[in-house]
Amino acid sequence: MASLPKASQKATPPAYRSTSERPSTVGLVAEGFREIASRRRLIRYLVQADMKKKGANTVLGNVWWVIDPLMLMIVYVVLVTVITQRPQPDYPLFIFSAILPWKWFTSTVSDAVTSVTGQERLIKQLHFPKLVLPVASTFSGVTSFVFGLIPLGLLLVLFYSDRITPYLLLIPVVAFVQLVLSMGLAIGVSAVNVFYRDLGNAIRHFLRLWFYLSPALYSAEQISSLGVDDPTITFLFGLNPFTILFESYRNVIYAGTPPMWGPLLALLAVSVAITCLATWGFKRLEPAFAKVL
Amino acid sequence: MTAPTTPGAAEAGTPGAVPPAPTRPEAVGFDGLPTATPPPAPDPAADLPSVIEVRDLGIRYSLRLTRKNTLRNTFINMFRKREGPKEFWALRHVDFDLVQGQSLAVIGPNGAGKSTLLQVLAGILTPSEGGVIVRGQVSSLLTLGAGFDQDLTGRENILLAGAFLGMDHREVLDRLEPIIEFADLGEFIDAPIKTYSSGMRARLGFSIATSVDPDVLLLDEVLATGDAIFRAKSKARILELVRSAKAIVLVTHDMGWVTEFCNRAMLIEKGAVIANGEPADVVAIHLEHAEEAKRAKLEQIRRYGGEAPKLAR
Repeated sequence: MASLPKASQKATPPAYRSTSERPSTVGLVAEGFREIASRRRLIRYLVQADMKKKGANTVLGNVWWVIDPLMLMIVYVVLVTVITQRPQPDYPLFIFSAILPWKWFTSTVSDAVTSVTGQERLIKQLHFPKLVLPVASTFSGVTSFVFGLIPLGLLLVLFYSDRITPYLLLIPVVAFVQLVLSMGLAIGVSAVNVFYRDLGNAIRHFLRLWFYLSPALYSAEQISSLGVDDPTITFLFGLNPFTILFESYRNVIYAGTPPMWGPLLALLAVSVAITCLATWGFKRLEPAFAKVL
Repeated sequence: MTAPTTPGAAEAGTPGAVPPAPTRPEAVGFDGLPTATPPPAPDPAADLPSVIEVRDLGIRYSLRLTRKNTLRNTFINMFRKREGPKEFWALRHVDFDLVQGQSLAVIGPNGAGKSTLLQVLAGILTPSEGGVIVRGQVSSLLTLGAGFDQDLTGRENILLAGAFLGMDHREVLDRLEPIIEFADLGEFIDAPIKTYSSGMRARLGFSIATSVDPDVLLLDEVLATGDAIFRAKSKARILELVRSAKAIVLVTHDMGWVTEFCNRAMLIEKGAVIANGEPADVVAIHLEHAEEAKRAKLEQIRRYGGEAPKLAR
């Protein structure tokens, strides 16, 4: 008879304690980050599984990650050229440098919304840090961004070789700020969606609106020229994280200038704060997940 | 079969503190394996370390937050005074200790809170009141294949499950081959789980769940899985785990399992502990209560002229 090997003898058996008392706010956030750090391998497996799943049922498989942003770019180029007649110079590249990060952001957030609710069965039957679920969706979004850099490279080399500058090397820096921001939002929406499933429906429309209110298809200057007589619009527009992100991506990819360092640093600080806040909220709500799901 | 490691299990044939098992028409029945004798209850004077401590445990469910929750309902409820209870205690004021060598059977009618208790001990539910301490590695066999990813292969799912269970990566790799061998799926182990039959899935789940050698084993009637051969194999594996675990908590409706595996029993009704002690005594109380409930129901049916009794409002 096949028998399984004995567990390696542990020096001290782990004591597991569960009470109705909850740690302090800072304690909860620290606990959340510790959980993420200690379950890195689990997160990696979940990301791999997700990548495999996304490419599984199509003929071209993961090649779609390269084609998708290109197709989207063509659609918007046609649309905007027809409507405005007078787009920016080198408009395909202009638009691509915004579409690529935006696709990453939307896929991360919309995957994260269902990341906890989708694992309902597991949550009710096994004790594990639920934070790994939205964090894993955040990182699987990164892969689509990284694959999207392939068509970006092709565009640059084949059509816009005069726009290649060393500033391109700063793309990861801008992307890191976006990663922190999307991680915070992913953790937040995944927890709220457990209690209000409406969020999944609402968020798609919200994201679409957000996209059109951000300088993706147009440039920030065009908005500034509108808001000359109304400084509040310019101010509010500047508060949009994606104004900062899109402009920074565009600086390093399209314009060949450094990113907006000041606003970018401020955004990083805000994103870290959002991530801490979301982690705290998630940890507060986590004990109720198994009951509500 | 590995040698029993439970203290005193060597003389398991001579039941010391174990009461004579009530006569059962068929001891093991479905697999023809020899009947197991429950490990003898530890000597109460020995002052063994307690493995599980449960203190004034309460689990509250809020009836406002259910899965059908939407913003619309929240708004409606805000403006409407709700009649009926707002909360429900699945368990309340539960106190017990389990020392090394004890195996506890939790019995009771449906909805009494038995599975909730296991979920708390497994760490899935957090107490609303009081607390629990579990010393040692816990394994719950609540989890047969719960975390399977349909698109991954059997082998990949073992790695994933190991990561979910919080096992060390090296530990998982060490166990990979034995798990595959035990599940006995042939070349299907490298095929996606979605191509598996439900029996194959259960076999893989069982093999993963029992691959850990826990100090505390939590069992929730998941034992009859797969075909006859695998059932026999899995029962042997369960017996092995039962012998090597320091403490066992088993939730079951099968009174045969209670006397076969356990040297203590606890009866839970409506979230409260009714009886706690010798399995035979507790089973007797449970059967008496069940009989009473059945009589009451029959009486009700008779009074309403054979029609099903209306739900009490």
